[in-house]
Amino acid sequence: MYRRVSILMRKHFVSVLVLCVGMIASFSARAAGDPTKGKALFQQNCASCHNVHKQLTGPALQGVEERWSDKKLLHQWIHNSASVLASGDAYANALYNQFNKTAMTAFPSLTDGDIDDILSYIDKEGKAAPATDTKTPGTTTAGGEEEGGNGLLFGIITLILAVVALILMQINSNLNKLAADKEGVATPEPVPFYKNKAYIALVIVLLFIVGGYFTINGAIGLGRQKDYMPQQPIFYSHKVHAGINQINCLYCHAGAEKSKHAMIPSENICMNCHKVISDYSGPQLFTAEGKKVNGSAEIQKLYDHVGWDKTAKEYTKPGKPIEWTRIHNLPDHVYFNHSQHVVAGKQQCQTCHGAITEMDEVHQFADLSMGWCINCHRTTKVQFADNKYYSIFEKFHEQVKEGKIDSVTVEMVGGTECQKCHY
Amino acid sequence: MKRTSNILIAAALVSGALVSACNRGENNRNPGRHYMPDMFESRAYEFYSERVSTLKPVEGTVKRGELLPYHLKAADTAQANLVKNPLILGKADLEEGKRLFNIYCGVCHGTKLDGNGPLYKDGTGPFVAAPANLASGPKASYTEGRLFHVMTYGYLNMGSYASQLDREQRWKIAAYIHSVQNGGANVAAPAAPAASTDTTKATAAPVVVAQAK
Repeated sequence: MYRRVSILMRKHFVSVLVLCVGMIASFSARAAGDPTKGKALFQQNCASCHNVHKQLTGPALQGVEERWSDKKLLHQWIHNSASVLASGDAYANALYNQFNKTAMTAFPSLTDGDIDDILSYIDKEGKAAPATDTKTPGTTTAGGEEEGGNGLLFGIITLILAVVALILMQINSNLNKLAADKEGVATPEPVPFYKNKAYIALVIVLLFIVGGYFTINGAIGLGRQKDYMPQQPIFYSHKVHAGINQINCLYCHAGAEKSKHAMIPSENICMNCHKVISDYSGPQLFTAEGKKVNGSAEIQKLYDHVGWDKTAKEYTKPGKPIEWTRIHNLPDHVYFNHSQHVVAGKQQCQTCHGAITEMDEVHQFADLSMGWCINCHRTTKVQFADNKYYSIFEKFHEQVKEGKIDSVTVEMVGGTECQKCHY
Repeated sequence: MKRTSNILIAAALVSGALVSACNRGENNRNPGRHYMPDMFESRAYEFYSERVSTLKPVEGTVKRGELLPYHLKAADTAQANLVKNPLILGKADLEEGKRLFNIYCGVCHGTKLDGNGPLYKDGTGPFVAAPANLASGPKASYTEGRLFHVMTYGYLNMGSYASQLDREQRWKIAAYIHSVQNGGANVAAPAAPAASTDTTKATAAPVVVAQAK
């Protein structure tokens, strides 16, 4: 048997040599361990308290094998941390005290092979630097600028044409005058154009129209804030939260289903996730002015407000509220109720607030004028079927059944009555 | 006549320019102006009112229609295991629990309850800690009382959801989670209304775990 193997070896000496070298190379760094298997085990057993790069409930695991003096002890620690603590190991006890005496869960079911797999995954993951996002900022030529450029161009062209027209008119009148002189017809002394009554009347009418247009438009706009986009104390991007990370609007604005107000979330709701997420790793953010925004620094602002220490993982200072700037504001003489529109009316948030999931900075999408409200109430069909809220309108239900009307609008159930919103 | 019309024009132009100028700043950073702003700031107890919105209700206040307060403290997990769901929930309530779960919990725990929601995404999402797998494994044997307790106080990296979900909603979610855990095996035979609607049933491991009574 042995001889046969050795003959085989001699035959395939080179290939065996290559295989051996390859094996040594791959095994030299760590003892046998399969990082892909380790990753699955890590996510199943360890990841709820540990991360390779970041400290969570337990320490960051990068370089964990170098920190433990004895590999056997590390295995024992993972199998049953209490027994290592009881043995009086100095490093283990220091670790235990550092993490507020939170005991690590015992994993007696993990075999030594499993632990080697996990350690090899940690080693591999630890060597790969934490993913840093170096996406190049997208081209941010704002559409507004282009429009402004076009406007300027058109203005200049109009001006040039007007000057040309004026010159031509002047030439025309001069030629007329010359022709009249030649024929010997006496022409009256020309009236300068600024004393010409027709001109003056024209200018007055034009100015009145233009001035009136601006006055009335401006007066209508008084107290309305469409497109208002204030700078908020923290650069909170709805695009990142509701768009990229798919957090439901109601997760933070839980009041939209229950009360008049959609609710600006309190800071504890931010901290539900940001206890763990302390660094921003998404695409580069920009303010409306085109300035770069450091996402992680903005998260730090949240920590400063709530008094959270991200290294110690606890609240160390008293919090102070974040003073968000209110965007949408209806005066007190209008009653608006979010829950009525969201629950009974089954309206989507985006109907009134626009494409929130694409806004880094939120602006007011609708003008919130009365005309805007009424228009929607006139055209929107209420979900009449299977909606207990409208069961009281028996007559309409009958008419729908008989086929006299095909749908019921908000107006038909009293949506344009004055005292529905003003009382 | 001419003079009055001139004055009229000048007045129209100036007021027009003024009124339109004061409405917007660059990038619409300015909210614009209000005439008669006296009803813009509410004097009533409103959410955004600076004076009163930070007032808390009197200690011990119970909202009308709300369940009675939950008295266990965060550390009382052993007692929490024994707490029974005070609500009698039908199929519609479990559907509501599912809807609420998908909004408030699914973002981390996944709509399949497998601990792999869009914020974690197998470790590639921004949330670096793995959320608990509620469908199978050790968390699948939690009682409804314990699930309610965790929602109320949070656990490890999970925060409290008491400010977003009232007690009734939390019980509905607990009942929903319980009804689909372990492939629906947790629910006792006579009251298994949601098991049929469960989509995770096929994938979840059919492990029957003895419930704490």
